[in-house]
Amino acid sequence: MEFSCQWLAQYVDLPADPQELARRLTAAGLAVEGVSTHGDDTVLDVDVTTNRPDCMNHFGLAREIAVLFDVPLRRPPAAPAEDLERTAEAARVTLDDLEGCPRFTARLVRGVRIGPSPEWLRRRLESIGLRPINNVVDVTNFILWELGQPLHAYDFAKLAGGPGGTIVVRRARAGETLVTLDGVERELDPEILVIADAERPVGLAGVMGGLASEVTAETRDVLIEGAHFDRKAVRTTAKRLGMHTDASHRFERGADPEICGEAVSRAAALIAEVAGGIVPAGVLDVRDTTKTWTRHGRLNLAKLDAFAGVHVDPADAERWLTGLGFGVDRSGGPGENVWGITVPSWRYFDFQPRPEPPHETYPQDLYEEVLRVFGLDRIPAALPGIPGADAPRAENLIRRDRVRRQLAASGYAEAIHFAFLDPARDAAFPSLRPAAQPIRLANPISEQLSVLRRSLVPNLVETARFNQRRGLPAVRTFEIANVFYERAQGGIPDQPEHVGLVCGGRLGNPWEREVELDLFDLKGTVDALADAFGIRLEARPADLPGVLAGNSAELLRVQGGEVVGWFGRVAEQEGYPLYAAELATAALAGGDVSLKVELPSRFPGISADFTFTHALDTPWAEIERAIRELAPPDLVAWKLKDRYRGPGVPEGAVNTTLSFHYNARERSLTQEEVNARQGALNQELERRFGWKG
Amino acid sequence: MSAGEGIASARLGNWIEGFEGDAAERGQTRAQWELLRIHWAGKKQGVVRGLLEEIKRIEPEQRRAYGEDVNRFKEHVERRLSAIDAALAAREREAARRAAAVDVTLPGRRPALGSLHPVTLVIAEMEQIFAEMGYSVAEGPEVEDDYHNFEALNFPADHPARDTQDTFFLEDGLLLRTHTSPVQIRTMLARRPPIRVICPGRVFRNDNDLRHSPMFHQVEGLAVAEGITVGHLKGTILAFMRRLFSPETDIRMRPSFFPFTEPSAEVDVTCQNCRGQGCEVCSGTGWMEILGCGMVDPRVLAGCGIDPDVYSGFAFGMGVDRVAMNRYGIPNIRLLFDNDERLLRQVRG
Ligand SMILES: [Zn+2]
Repeated sequence: MEFSCQWLAQYVDLPADPQELARRLTAAGLAVEGVSTHGDDTVLDVDVTTNRPDCMNHFGLAREIAVLFDVPLRRPPAAPAEDLERTAEAARVTLDDLEGCPRFTARLVRGVRIGPSPEWLRRRLESIGLRPINNVVDVTNFILWELGQPLHAYDFAKLAGGPGGTIVVRRARAGETLVTLDGVERELDPEILVIADAERPVGLAGVMGGLASEVTAETRDVLIEGAHFDRKAVRTTAKRLGMHTDASHRFERGADPEICGEAVSRAAALIAEVAGGIVPAGVLDVRDTTKTWTRHGRLNLAKLDAFAGVHVDPADAERWLTGLGFGVDRSGGPGENVWGITVPSWRYFDFQPRPEPPHETYPQDLYEEVLRVFGLDRIPAALPGIPGADAPRAENLIRRDRVRRQLAASGYAEAIHFAFLDPARDAAFPSLRPAAQPIRLANPISEQLSVLRRSLVPNLVETARFNQRRGLPAVRTFEIANVFYERAQGGIPDQPEHVGLVCGGRLGNPWEREVELDLFDLKGTVDALADAFGIRLEARPADLPGVLAGNSAELLRVQGGEVVGWFGRVAEQEGYPLYAAELATAALAGGDVSLKVELPSRFPGISADFTFTHALDTPWAEIERAIRELAPPDLVAWKLKDRYRGPGVPEGAVNTTLSFHYNARERSLTQEEVNARQGALNQELERRFGWKG
Repeated sequence: MSAGEGIASARLGNWIEGFEGDAAERGQTRAQWELLRIHWAGKKQGVVRGLLEEIKRIEPEQRRAYGEDVNRFKEHVERRLSAIDAALAAREREAARRAAAVDVTLPGRRPALGSLHPVTLVIAEMEQIFAEMGYSVAEGPEVEDDYHNFEALNFPADHPARDTQDTFFLEDGLLLRTHTSPVQIRTMLARRPPIRVICPGRVFRNDNDLRHSPMFHQVEGLAVAEGITVGHLKGTILAFMRRLFSPETDIRMRPSFFPFTEPSAEVDVTCQNCRGQGCEVCSGTGWMEILGCGMVDPRVLAGCGIDPDVYSGFAFGMGVDRVAMNRYGIPNIRLLFDNDERLLRQVRG
């Protein structure tokens, strides 16, 4: 928001250096983001926050400057020379919606001559980037940027029913339309507050006037409206019609309800000065008489110091508050350090009262007011003296840390993706809750980013492809993040944490002993992860969406038996094959967490291999189960050593080589003992699974 | 041989010459050296031994001179044999080394390690710093309701302050949280003071251009207790920034406005690129805008059932992504979420 220094200087003496002015305003919460020259004037670009509509005009900012530099503030004159005719007899106003418009003021200027504004007025408007239009409209704009009150000038003759006619502030009727000043025909509805003459709407309350009653070169009598419109009413109109104007900007933030009368009088005086004309006596002023815009509070100076962590001189606090328009009542006596405070009407909306009677404002609102002038940079830094620590790190956070560290140590690079994606891609891979429909954004950036993810895999696969296309010989990434499942009963969706992994390609080169990554590299990483948490996962073959048939499985928790994840080979292939897995990290909780180790035997052990031919479709899981069931005494470890298909092995069969290790706790085993035990086991495996041709 | 002993006898000279001739021939290999040693210095039949025994046959008056010659010769033989032995040993070691040598400058085979995301690492560091100050970590859902994301944080319904949030809405009126502040609300609703938590997490704003990402990360902090002051807010942020950046880092607080704090402030820290001298990263100001903070608004405390006349608190929030970009030299926020493995795998904790 731009402010002219010459304009500000009408109301307050400015420091010689505009940079000093900028620095001080910034330190008090009115951030000056730029200082530029405009002819012989200096223009400040001030970021006025939404809670300070009172500073969105030159007089309001001058009030701050007067306090910050401890200099007097000059109020602009607002007393036109008045005619004998009385405004209240020339025009009448009815407020149909006191909530939407609790106060309406107006003044007439009769016999104006519309023309260009004088040089000084044009310069003022141009200095802050406004385009002068004609003397009457320019005055209304000037007042907006001087006092912050949005005004509207009507051609009084064009209001139906006038002269002597009635203006009504009411809700629009269904089917009514209004062509606004910008030439757009607006369809109105009862949500929209309008200014109407006896017949039809002539303006959108607090947003924009109508074209039909616009001031033109022929206008002679001008009615200046200065009303206070409720911020919600204005926001509703602006939102429904997709409009944003200087007027709506202020009303939405909360204009000063008490400045209307002064603003229309000041406007009438200026119009008479720059466009001629006679001003009838008095302000037409209609208001909700039950409503006041004052707030009260109490400022306890000792509590202010305790809140700030620094001593604030009461004399300073009183001078600053008074200068900012607050009423300070020290009737408690000179020794009394609790003051009664009255909040000025232009700060009404920034001082929302306490819910309980007597609905005083919170003292913190007043502390803020004093401390921003005092300067936050003057408050000494200290540390709170709360003893001990707050709470131990939560289990799920510790678990997440460990998952991350282990996967990084397993060779996977951590990725972070957006939580929303293309619905088609979201549906392309398995969901752990297939019944839960994807959750759509109402206002997505694009259709490609329009649903919340139910799986981490689609983004990981997309990333793997991106890296593949960039020529990476191998890809391995993981992500740990939550997914989103709608709840049947509505409300905030379930957002469980998952971990997803994708890998593929050739790792290393002959020197590095290259590895062609496949499904079992991925599965091993997942198994090792589960192991670290004392969890056993079981793979159950399952045909799943997006993965190659016969190359995928659901992961079940052995403890409990529920499906907690899946893995498989990505069906759609582009370059080398990709493998993906996903696991709900909650499945890693509650495992066998005993940290006790099993002491190795002090006696030497004996190893034995066994190779046998069996049908290709005999699942390893069955062989594994059989070995576990048949395990001879002192068999301490066994594993798959090799799988071989090729010359010498019948079609439809496979050679499996197992390695076994025996070790007794209290003695050395003999080769004969081991041979006997292993021989019996071999025989049984052969009998159950051996190739029968 | 010292000069005082006069000119070496011709006899001694002949013996040495004889020995050296043999040594030149047989001093080349270990086996030959052994024969050389036995021949000259053998305990029973060596040449030196024979010469010593010969003394009996020497005229008595010449025995002393003869004895001295033999002793000198003996010393010579022993010294030379051990020198040849050392030379042979060195040659043998060199040969063995050569036979077994590998090129130790060849590349080692590194374990194929992965990496953590820059954002993860920065959040972990921030958590660590605050853990040392006694803070715990609190988390909450990313899909939130209006109450936790706005209403409880003193964003009035239908207020322009909400427009600044660029909220993503769900079709049923829920929303993607625009900050991690709803976690502060959930914490204050669930617990009583004293409270010290930080709330890291993903947040979402419907803002998608070269400088903004619709998803980014925040770490917010909250301390509520009796007697918390604006000075404590300032001291905590200063201590944090000095740990995160460097002990010389300074901060500057500019009053601002957030609905959920009062007073509110934007915090600038010494530009880490130029150490406050002014550069293009900080537009010549020497400061980087990095954090928003303030004293928890009494309406927020009261709404969470915490009496604002008894307790006070401060809250702060900062973007993680910019810190990560700064630390790892990543110029554009979009690159953080491109997940280019060539970039990710360079990231070190
Ligand atoms: Zn810099």
